[in-house]
Amino acid sequence: MNFSNPLSAPGRRAFMRRMSFGVGGAALGCLWAEDEKFLRAGSGTHFAPKVKSVIFLFMCGGVSAMDTFDPKDNKWAGKMLETLNSNNGKPQLRPVLHIPRVWTRYGKAGTPVCEWFPHIGGVMDDIAVVRSMYCHEVGHFPACWEMSTGHRNRLFDHPSIGAWTGYALGAANKNLPAFVNMGRPSAPAQASGGYLGVQEGATPFQAGDTPLDNLKLPAGLSRVERDRQMEVLAKLNRQFHEQHAFDAEVAARVRGYELAGTLQLAGPELVDFSREPEHVRKLYGVGEPETDEFGRQMLLARRLAERGVRFIQVCHGGGMGNGKWDAHDDVADHGPLARQTDKPIAGLIRDLKQRGMLDSTMVVWATEFGRTPYSQNNVGRDHNPHGFTCWLAGGGVKGGIVHGATDEIGYKVAEKPQYVTDLQATVLQQMGLDHKKMHVVVNGRPLHMIEEGTGPIQAILG
Amino acid sequence: MICNRIPLGVFLVVAAALYAQETKPKPALWSLRPVVRPELPTGGGNPIDVLVARKQEQKGLSPAGRAEKATLLRRLYLDLLGLPPSPEAVDAFLADASPEAYTKVVDRLLNDPQHGVRYARHWLDVLGYADVDHGMLAEPGIHHWRDWVITALNRDVPYDQFVRAHVAGDLSANPGDVFATGFLARAAHSPVDRTEEVAFAAVEKISSAFMAMTVNCAKCHDHMYDPISQRDYYAMKALFDPLLPDKRLLASADEILRHPDVLENWKARQDAIQARMDVITRPYEKQIFEERMTFLPKDVEAVFRKDPAARTSEEQAIVKRYETVVVPDARKFRDVMKPDETVRYEAIRKELTELRRDPPVIPAFWSVRVDAERAAAKSHLYLGGDRTKKGAEVQPGFPFAPQDVAFKGDRRQAFLGWLTAPENPLFARVAVNRLWQWHFGEGIAATPSDFGRTGQMPVNPALLDWLASEFVQRKFSMKAMHRLIVTSGLYQRSAVVPPDQEAANRAIDPGNKHLWKFPVRRLDAEAIRDSVLQAAGTLDTSIGGRSFRGEDIMERRVMSAPVTGHYDTRSNRRGIYMGRGADTSMNMLPSYLSLFDAEDGHTPCARRERSVTAPQVLFLLNGSLVQEASKKLAKRLEPAGDPVHYGFKLVLGRPPSPAERDVALSYLQGAGAARLEGFSWMLMNLSEFVFLP
Repeated sequence: MNFSNPLSAPGRRAFMRRMSFGVGGAALGCLWAEDEKFLRAGSGTHFAPKVKSVIFLFMCGGVSAMDTFDPKDNKWAGKMLETLNSNNGKPQLRPVLHIPRVWTRYGKAGTPVCEWFPHIGGVMDDIAVVRSMYCHEVGHFPACWEMSTGHRNRLFDHPSIGAWTGYALGAANKNLPAFVNMGRPSAPAQASGGYLGVQEGATPFQAGDTPLDNLKLPAGLSRVERDRQMEVLAKLNRQFHEQHAFDAEVAARVRGYELAGTLQLAGPELVDFSREPEHVRKLYGVGEPETDEFGRQMLLARRLAERGVRFIQVCHGGGMGNGKWDAHDDVADHGPLARQTDKPIAGLIRDLKQRGMLDSTMVVWATEFGRTPYSQNNVGRDHNPHGFTCWLAGGGVKGGIVHGATDEIGYKVAEKPQYVTDLQATVLQQMGLDHKKMHVVVNGRPLHMIEEGTGPIQAILG
Repeated sequence: MICNRIPLGVFLVVAAALYAQETKPKPALWSLRPVVRPELPTGGGNPIDVLVARKQEQKGLSPAGRAEKATLLRRLYLDLLGLPPSPEAVDAFLADASPEAYTKVVDRLLNDPQHGVRYARHWLDVLGYADVDHGMLAEPGIHHWRDWVITALNRDVPYDQFVRAHVAGDLSANPGDVFATGFLARAAHSPVDRTEEVAFAAVEKISSAFMAMTVNCAKCHDHMYDPISQRDYYAMKALFDPLLPDKRLLASADEILRHPDVLENWKARQDAIQARMDVITRPYEKQIFEERMTFLPKDVEAVFRKDPAARTSEEQAIVKRYETVVVPDARKFRDVMKPDETVRYEAIRKELTELRRDPPVIPAFWSVRVDAERAAAKSHLYLGGDRTKKGAEVQPGFPFAPQDVAFKGDRRQAFLGWLTAPENPLFARVAVNRLWQWHFGEGIAATPSDFGRTGQMPVNPALLDWLASEFVQRKFSMKAMHRLIVTSGLYQRSAVVPPDQEAANRAIDPGNKHLWKFPVRRLDAEAIRDSVLQAAGTLDTSIGGRSFRGEDIMERRVMSAPVTGHYDTRSNRRGIYMGRGADTSMNMLPSYLSLFDAEDGHTPCARRERSVTAPQVLFLLNGSLVQEASKKLAKRLEPAGDPVHYGFKLVLGRPPSPAERDVALSYLQGAGAARLEGFSWMLMNLSEFVFLP
């Protein structure tokens, strides 16, 4: 089935820009540059970085906090609650839903986690749960925009945090982009390079046979025959290429042939998991029906982090519509989604740890907003930007702690409110970037990455 | 978007310096100074050649010789039609030794209906055409605007009329011009246009397309570089403040009269399907009701179990409140049904969904109209561009307006009177610069939509001025200008010069700004795809109609007015008909178009990027488009007596050189038809195939 991928437009554009050569003189793509001089001049860190790579897990649709990592007493169930997100400005009364979850305390601190995430429960000692996140937007696309870019203002084409990190730091591995996305985002903003330029947008990778399209030979064509064809093609191209050796666009195409060859050889290696030991693949749930897809993405995420990709975003449940975590009808819809992601995420954290990579790799589990304590339709919950949960692991984050709190029904933040940009500022700080210094001038106007919020969440950092 | 990495501090210093200058009179913009027609010797040939030669001599550049005939033919075809020549056209042209051979081809191509298709795509980039744009109101029927542009170019509608139709086609005596106003209407998201989207977009798009001015920069504050105040912006916006989107029905009176019956029939069909669903769900209603009761507090449950007739008004309120919890939904039914029932239920439900998705609609097109109430209302400036902060009242006007503009009748007419006047230097300069860019890859001024201080100066101001004055003299005929340009010696120059000459010229003008040789350049997305399909023999060159869907674009319905068959099903049509656009929630720009730098139309595009990348190479090497075309091309070559010769002419518009012939034959030797497919693939993977020679 051919899905429309919101990413493919900006993503492909970005990738091919990175891979264009010689046009206009300078090498436009840092992707394949061989030495440091192609890293952007004037870029770099503001202070010593603790983190080399960030793996940003975006659960699309809005995960219910009180059904996952922020347990609440059921004594309120059935009571009517006045809604904040109202229809036509009039508050409505809605019944608080019973929370049919089973909670288990995990780790040294005994952090409660619901029955959907037993594997993540198992790595709770590495996780700092932030239960006091908030944003402003109530709709999916605006909220995804807000979580990804730190802005609500859509007058300017704000870039996502992944684009900012790539822009500021450049690519560490000259053979790979700085910002990669796997899975389909809910909104193009989640992968957008915005005003930083299309080349800063996420490159879409996939954890299938090849990380990119058109790498494989057409079906039925042998390698031997293709090699023969390429040889003949080169001969037929020779005169044109020689005649136009000085023309930038033709020269770029000559390089394009070479790069296509390199990619065809190197690409499959990146996604070839056959050399990963069986126990590692099992750790991620690769090969099991429910976890295979996300497990492969997590395993590829680790391999990309190993190879120095700065910002690896993995969107779960995104694409068409509002996101699969958008449980308006029945919160139990979270169950299968949790099963798809629980083991792979825990596997990623365990694998990073056993390889000694967890200190330099930050894993962020985020969503655009939470869900209301009250019923919206039947046994489902509405969008709730007033208080929700995200969590972080690795990259200098203190494990086994809980930061902030919502009120006793889980509706609004009660303690230590953290705006979505605080999460971004935390990520940036660990990457060696000062969020207060991140601005660019666009058409004569200075634009800041972060304008709201209180800055990095220092309390969760070691 | 272009991004300057200027540190903030520097930016502020520069801004302050510019601000300080504000009090001193600035020299007038070059683009606003009157056009000066350069003196030319009599009998000197095409003035383009004279003026270019002057500049080249001055710079010490030695120009290339004339290109080979076959190259010229391919150049003309790809430039004027966006399609390669047929083998028959190649043969005929190579055989025609008459001095008029070249101009005959030029005239034939300019009169070919595919010429309008090719140049419409250029204009639609500049004007910001999109089939889809974040739920734009004008989505149904927007292709009529595209088709109007194609037709107008084919009929050589003079440029001033072309612009008038876009800005005020709703007032035109020619009823067809209303379709050009899709340009204005396309900005609206609602028929009432409360946020004044039409007016804001009109300022931005008209000023960039027809004035090459970044008036948009003055939306929130006075322009920092050009003499355009914030007041100018809102004065220009006031020209369009009276406009509202206007739906024009495109159906016969009979169809419109019958519409209520059609609608009723559609509703009746839904009811019938619903009844079939109810038969299945009815037995489960009680069960689900009981289950839902367990979610309720005991006192509420008691109310629900009471006879509805016996409920007090207070109890009725409670029922109303909890109703959403109790009423069962489709997925709940699915959970409790027997498997065979679920299958039947789902089938019926799908039927219903499909039917609901396609309510009968009367075909329509969105134009604009002048709303009397809005026309009577005062226009205001918005402080900082913030629509909630009204500033001073502004009168209709526009940047650079003369003192004595009289606004009589529709406000837009006064503006158009100034804009399209033969003596307006900006108007003709902007247009001829675009035409030049489409023939040579770059404009004489390299920033075709910015003739202000941040834009680039023309490399040959005399040439630009001569073309501008000639355009006026020729009554704004675009075809006349095309003819003038492509029949120049400059256009017929070779893209190849001997190495010594290349080195000498390159030392002086490395970017070939002065066109000492023809600038070879990558074909655009549409031309490459059209060339592949033409080689395969499957290209459908019919003109106009709905766009088709790129293969990776999901079927999408218009929210406000779903339309049956919103897309054309023929995907072998020319690239201009490949639907494109923007949407917050899904990708609406086919990956093919974005791979080869076509834009989504959300913002106007003055000049496409021409990136040349490895993923493009991979697409042509391994992608399905060329694979499938190779099979079909091989079938075309098979019956030919000399498939190598025919293949080269068919795909590259020239016979193979003896060396190329030998290489190709050695590949095909003894392999029979099997390798013809490989040979076909090779022809479309040659660099030459994707370049304008």
